[in-house]
Amino acid sequence: MGRITLENVQKSFGDVEVIPPLDLTIEDGEFVVFVGPSGCGKSTLLRLIAGLEDVSGGEIRIDGKPATDLPPAKRGLAMVFQSYALYPHMSVRKNIAFPMKMAKVPEDEQKRRIESAAHALNLTDYLDRRPGQLSGGQRQRVAIGRAIVREPAAFLFDEPLSNLDAALRVGMRLEISELHTRLATTMVYVTHDQVEAMTMADKIVVLRAGHIEQVGSPLELYRSPRNLFVAGFIGSPKMNLIDGPEAARRGAHTIGIRPEHIDVSTEEGVWHGTIGVAEHLGSDTFFHVHETGLAETVTIRADGEIGLHHGDRVYLTPHPDKIHRFDEGGLLIA
Amino acid sequence: MATQHSKAAARLMIAPAVIVLLLWMIVPLVLTLYFSTLRYNLLMPGGTPFVGMENYQYFFTDPAFTTALVNTLLLVGGVLLITIIGGTLLALLLDQPMFGQGIVRLLVIAPFFVMPTVSALVWKNMFMNPVNGLFAHLARLIGIQPFDFLAVAPLASIILIVAWQWLPFATLILLTAMQSLDSEQIEAAEMDGAGALSRFFYIVVPHLSRAATVVILIQTIFLLSIFAEILVTTAGGPGVASTNLTYLVYIQSLLQFDVGLGSAGGVVAIILANIVAIFLMRMIGKNLDA
Repeated sequence: MGRITLENVQKSFGDVEVIPPLDLTIEDGEFVVFVGPSGCGKSTLLRLIAGLEDVSGGEIRIDGKPATDLPPAKRGLAMVFQSYALYPHMSVRKNIAFPMKMAKVPEDEQKRRIESAAHALNLTDYLDRRPGQLSGGQRQRVAIGRAIVREPAAFLFDEPLSNLDAALRVGMRLEISELHTRLATTMVYVTHDQVEAMTMADKIVVLRAGHIEQVGSPLELYRSPRNLFVAGFIGSPKMNLIDGPEAARRGAHTIGIRPEHIDVSTEEGVWHGTIGVAEHLGSDTFFHVHETGLAETVTIRADGEIGLHHGDRVYLTPHPDKIHRFDEGGLLIA
Repeated sequence: MATQHSKAAARLMIAPAVIVLLLWMIVPLVLTLYFSTLRYNLLMPGGTPFVGMENYQYFFTDPAFTTALVNTLLLVGGVLLITIIGGTLLALLLDQPMFGQGIVRLLVIAPFFVMPTVSALVWKNMFMNPVNGLFAHLARLIGIQPFDFLAVAPLASIILIVAWQWLPFATLILLTAMQSLDSEQIEAAEMDGAGALSRFFYIVVPHLSRAATVVILIQTIFLLSIFAEILVTTAGGPGVASTNLTYLVYIQSLLQFDVGLGSAGGVVAIILANIVAIFLMRMIGKNLDA
C-alpha cells in the first residue's frame, strides 16, 4: 500500500515561497516522476513527502493517514539519494542491514532479506566490500538494496542516476523500471532529464517554480501539452515553437510542431530553408534548418539514410493535425 | 617525467635540508646516549669516567621512577580521555546553528593561545588556591570546606589544567571533521529509522574516528613531555605525587646536577615514547589508511 496525497501543501524558506499551495495524488503502485528544470522545487517536494523538510502549510497523507507531523522514519518510505549516501565505514551487508537493525528485525529475517535483495540486485559477490571499493552503478544498487529491505510503502528517488555515465544510466533506468514491475510498489522519482521521465513514468508531474504545470501519462503530455512550457520541456529534440505571421495565419499567438511531425522534401513543401547542421544518428537524422523565415532554427527529424547534407535547400511540410496552437498567455487553444 | 637525470638532481637538491635535519636529530641523541654512560656530575668536577649502564641502574632503581612512569601514563591517558570525549561533545554543540556562532567559536579556541606557564599560574592562584581561589569562594558560599586541589589531588588537578588547554585543539579538529560529514548520510540514516543517539554512534562517531586518531597522536607527543604546568603548580610534589618522567629528568640533571643520570632518564623517556607510539599505531593507526 502506498497512496500519497498532498493537500494544499506549501513550503517557504523564510520569505521565499518555494512551493505555492499544491494538490497532488499519487496512487498506490504508481511510478510517478517529478520533472522540471533545476530549481523548480521538485527535490524540495520530494523531501517534504519524505519528511526531511517540514511543510509550511497543508496536509500530507500516506494511505489515508495524516503524515504531516510524522518523523521520516515513521512514514514507511524509503529514499535513494543522489549521492547514494552509503555509510562509508560499513560493509555493503551492514549498509543494507542498517534500516532493519534500527527497526529491530530478527537476525535470521535480516539475513533472508539481505540475501534476496543482494540476489535481485546482483550484489551477492560484493556483500563484504566497503562502498569505497565499488563502482558507481554498484553503489547505486546498494542504495536501492538498502531501500528495498525495509519493504516500504513507497520508494523515493532523488535524481539517482545523475552521477552515472550515459551507458550505465540507460542500464539502471531499465533495472529500476523492472524493479517497479516486480515489486508493484509506489515509486516517486525526481529528475531533470525528460528522457528518464518519459521512459519510466506511469505519471509525469511537470513542475516549474513550484507550480504543477501539468500531470499526465507520458503520451498525454507528448500529445497534448497544456501550455508552452510543457510543450517545450517534453520531447527530444524540443518542439519547434513558431510565432509571428505564420502563427497568426493559424489563429494563434504561437504554434508548436514537433521535429518528427515535419516532412522534408527536396522538391515541394509549405515552408523552405537551408540545412545548417545535420546530426546523423544512424536510425534517424536531425536537421537544423535555417533561413525559413519562421524561427531562427527549425529542427526536423528525417529517416536515417535520407542523404541530405549541410547547405542543401529543402522544403518542409508539417502534419496539419499535429500542430499545437497556443494563445498569448502560452495556454493551449483547444 | 622522472628520468634518471632528474632524480639525481632532485636528490642533490634536497640533500642540504636532509643533512641539516639529520645532524639536528643525530647529534643531540648521540650526545645524550654518550653522557648517559658517564659518571658526570657537575658538583664533582674532574674526571667523567665511563661507567657503562650504571646510570640506568640508578635511574630504574630510583624509588621515584615507578611513580613517575605511572604518573606520565596517567597524565597522558587522563588528558586524552577528557579532551576526546569533551571535544566531541563541544564540537557537537558548536555545530548547531546558533546566535553569535563566530564569537562563541573564537572564545572556545582561546585557551589554546594562552601560554602553559600562564594558564597554570592562573589556575593555581585564581581558581585552585584554597584561600583566595574562585573554587574556594564558591565552596564557602555553599558552606563547605574549601578543597586544596594541588595539595590533595595534585595529579588530577594538573590533568584538569592540561585538559583545559588541549580541549580547544581537540574541539577544533573534531568540529571541522563533523562539518565535513555529508548531510545526505545523516538524512539517509534518519529515513532508515535511526534516532539521534543511533545516528551519533553509527554515523557521526565512525566519521570522526580519523580526526580523533590525529588528535590522539598529536596530543600524545606533547603530553608525554608536559613540564611547565608541573613546575609552576606543584613542582612535582607533594613528594613525587605529580612528578612525571620529564620532570624527574629535570630534577636529576638540573636540581641534582647529575648530567649522566639525567641523560639516562632522557633515553628512558625516548624509549617510553616509542613504546607508546607503537601501541598507538597498532591500536588506531589503521584509521589513517584511506
